[in-house]
Amino acid sequence: MRFSVARDTLLAGLQTVQNVVSSRTTLPILSNVRIQAADGQLRFTTTDLDVGVTCVAEAQVDRPGGTTLPVKRLASIVRELPTGEVHVEVEGKNIASLRCGQIFFKIHGLPEDEFPPFPEFSDCKLFTLKQNELKDALRKTSYAISTDETRYVLNGILFSFKDSRLTMVATDGRRLGLVDLEVEFPQSEEVDVIVPTKCINELARLVGDTGEMKMYVAQNQVAFDVGTTRLVSKLVEGNYPNYRQVIPNEVRERVTLERELFQAAVHRVSLLASEKSNSVKLMFTKNNLEIAANTPDIGEARESIPVVYKGNDLTIAFNPEYLMAPLRALPTDEVFLDLIDEMSPGVIKIQSPFLYVIMPMRVS
Amino acid sequence: MAQINENLPQSHSALKIWSEVSETLRAEVSIDTFRRWFQDVQAVDLDDKTLTLRVPNSIHQLWIESNYQSLLHSALMLATGDGRQVQYTFATTPETQASLALNAISERDAAPEEPSAEKFPSGSGLNPRNTFESFVVGSNNQFTHAACSAVATGPGKTYNPLFIYSGVGLGKTHLMHAIGHQILAANKKAKVLYITSEHFTNEFIEAIKAGTLTKFRKRYRQAEVLLIDDIQFLAGKERSQEEFFHTFNALFDGNKQIVLSSDRPPSEIASLESRLVSRFEWGLTAEMQPPDVETRTAILRKKSETMQVKLPPEVINFLAERVRTNVRRLEGALMRVASYASLNEGKVPTTEKIEMLLKDILQEEARRAVTIEQIQRHVAEHFDIRLADMSSKRRPANIAFPRQVAMYLSRELTRSSLSEIGEAFGGRDHGTVLHAHRQVRDKISKDEHLRQVVSFLDGDLQR
Repeated sequence: MRFSVARDTLLAGLQTVQNVVSSRTTLPILSNVRIQAADGQLRFTTTDLDVGVTCVAEAQVDRPGGTTLPVKRLASIVRELPTGEVHVEVEGKNIASLRCGQIFFKIHGLPEDEFPPFPEFSDCKLFTLKQNELKDALRKTSYAISTDETRYVLNGILFSFKDSRLTMVATDGRRLGLVDLEVEFPQSEEVDVIVPTKCINELARLVGDTGEMKMYVAQNQVAFDVGTTRLVSKLVEGNYPNYRQVIPNEVRERVTLERELFQAAVHRVSLLASEKSNSVKLMFTKNNLEIAANTPDIGEARESIPVVYKGNDLTIAFNPEYLMAPLRALPTDEVFLDLIDEMSPGVIKIQSPFLYVIMPMRVS
Repeated sequence: MAQINENLPQSHSALKIWSEVSETLRAEVSIDTFRRWFQDVQAVDLDDKTLTLRVPNSIHQLWIESNYQSLLHSALMLATGDGRQVQYTFATTPETQASLALNAISERDAAPEEPSAEKFPSGSGLNPRNTFESFVVGSNNQFTHAACSAVATGPGKTYNPLFIYSGVGLGKTHLMHAIGHQILAANKKAKVLYITSEHFTNEFIEAIKAGTLTKFRKRYRQAEVLLIDDIQFLAGKERSQEEFFHTFNALFDGNKQIVLSSDRPPSEIASLESRLVSRFEWGLTAEMQPPDVETRTAILRKKSETMQVKLPPEVINFLAERVRTNVRRLEGALMRVASYASLNEGKVPTTEKIEMLLKDILQEEARRAVTIEQIQRHVAEHFDIRLADMSSKRRPANIAFPRQVAMYLSRELTRSSLSEIGEAFGGRDHGTVLHAHRQVRDKISKDEHLRQVVSFLDGDLQR
């Protein structure tokens, strides 16, 4: 195999795929990127057997072929190369030589036939999504994904395609984030799948701000096509719990908050929240919210902000990080906080179809 | 909670524990939370290490474990007295979850469901199985049962306060719940409050700590019917007693019905303020005894009917004969036998098998088994005659009568045959024992004083 490619193009290709590779791999070949050269383009592929990425880049291919090379090492080499053409040649025993001007590298690789084959997607459902919408939806939900590995069904985001709508849900048992997107698809294509966390993270990196992308859903695999990059992942097996049960269906008080102001205040006050209880108290009175936290023997913090609130005095406590996470992800100036009482969950809402259920903590 | 699933027999003890745990939880969480997460939970099994709960689907388990774990555990600790794990099983198979109709977002914004603005938790903590219908009346509790019935029919108009006492497992709580149910059945809006005195004390302490005494007082003094179980636990708690004194007065003065239960009469509750003792004795004090063998049989028959379990009369009689101290134990024994039968394709266990199944219960019963000599000693002491007189041939009434009482008790409390009893009383004929037994029984039905004496001796001997 022999090809020449611009250093920047080569680096971009490697950077697109290298994240999927784990630092500790079971098989040595999984630390490698598969490079296939043919027809004026290079194809880069990596996988960890659960999630895989493949992308293409333009190159001048003198002799087609393929090999696999250690991706981290290769990327760090290419990063240090100056802008310009990189000439790559791979001889016999998968040893690649890189030449860039006066710089020369030789790297040992592994044969490409040892590399796990990339899954084919034949019999599957296809959904077309708008990239910016998906990106936004991922931002609004991914922080709520459970990291508890014993609850593996929750280690991902539920994609529920139903009634011309894609509902994305993430929860860890203490809070739940939900976004609805309008997507066109026939009723026969309705399906519920759980996309694992690692894939979500990769997807969030890949998805751009414009254009459309495709999502393929097979029996226990999913693929996302963004531009010429394809991200493939196993799905989480199992049934996502009935998340609707969690969402309160009554509201007693609704508060309108200035998002950034609220977020900043919670952040400041949370500096004095004790590690043990890690909660901030929200005290709502007419058009005023006092946020407070204290740690015995260390200190306390309090901040008052104006809010739009006309209901009864209400005090409720929340985990500050659970409170701030959605705020960081929302773009709006205002958010609504729906409350019932101090023992019931609160719901953060905005104008567009999004909600975030957060369980309160005990007000000591 | 009262349904029985064919696939998985619901353990009686698990239900009892869950009902107590539920009560604790209900007081700790908001009404919506309780309805949403705990109302549909059923207890299916209880052993030394775990309580198994059946939940409608996995989100229940997830949400309860993530948010109410410590609450559940402490409620469980309160109910069982020791730490146990909680396990979950699901009512529906996982596949059916996927087909659960997903309600559109619009439903969320629709009008709120039932008025959860129910500020008064009326009727909470009442076990739906404890009703007047399911209560077996016998000579041992007829009087108390009638009193409770009267109170349930006309709260505040008949006996106020009503003070019920008896030994363990004889139906005090059952009757109190029954009163609550009947009152609520007649009037849905009635403010019926059922609590244990321990709950009262704990809430009182919490209210002091949280500074919500006014709320606490309002809650209790708003009740139209106050049912307090195990009032003897107020003993020694001065401040709680004082608070209860005020609560009592507020309710009593407003003609609100108060029913109390205890394991002993008011005058025997140690460290109880005399002003409370006098108030408790103000109305009607009613006692319940352990049931006799006929009543025990009736209880078993009724229970097996409710459980839809057919057990042959020999088995019923065996249980009625051998388990005599309290009804709870009796029902537990029945449960075990019934479960055994149902798990063995309806095959009824032999007497030997039953003996083995109920080994611990029977051992417990045997431990408390009195000997004829003990009876003779106690009765002699009580009537101030000599032990020797029990076996002597002396006929004066002041000796003969206690002897008859002792014979009666021997027949009731021991498994000795008439001849054996006769032998123990100085070689008397079995007919004599039978005659004595009948005599005493007749006299008891006519003479209240004698009834009390015999019941006192009975209780004393069984302690």
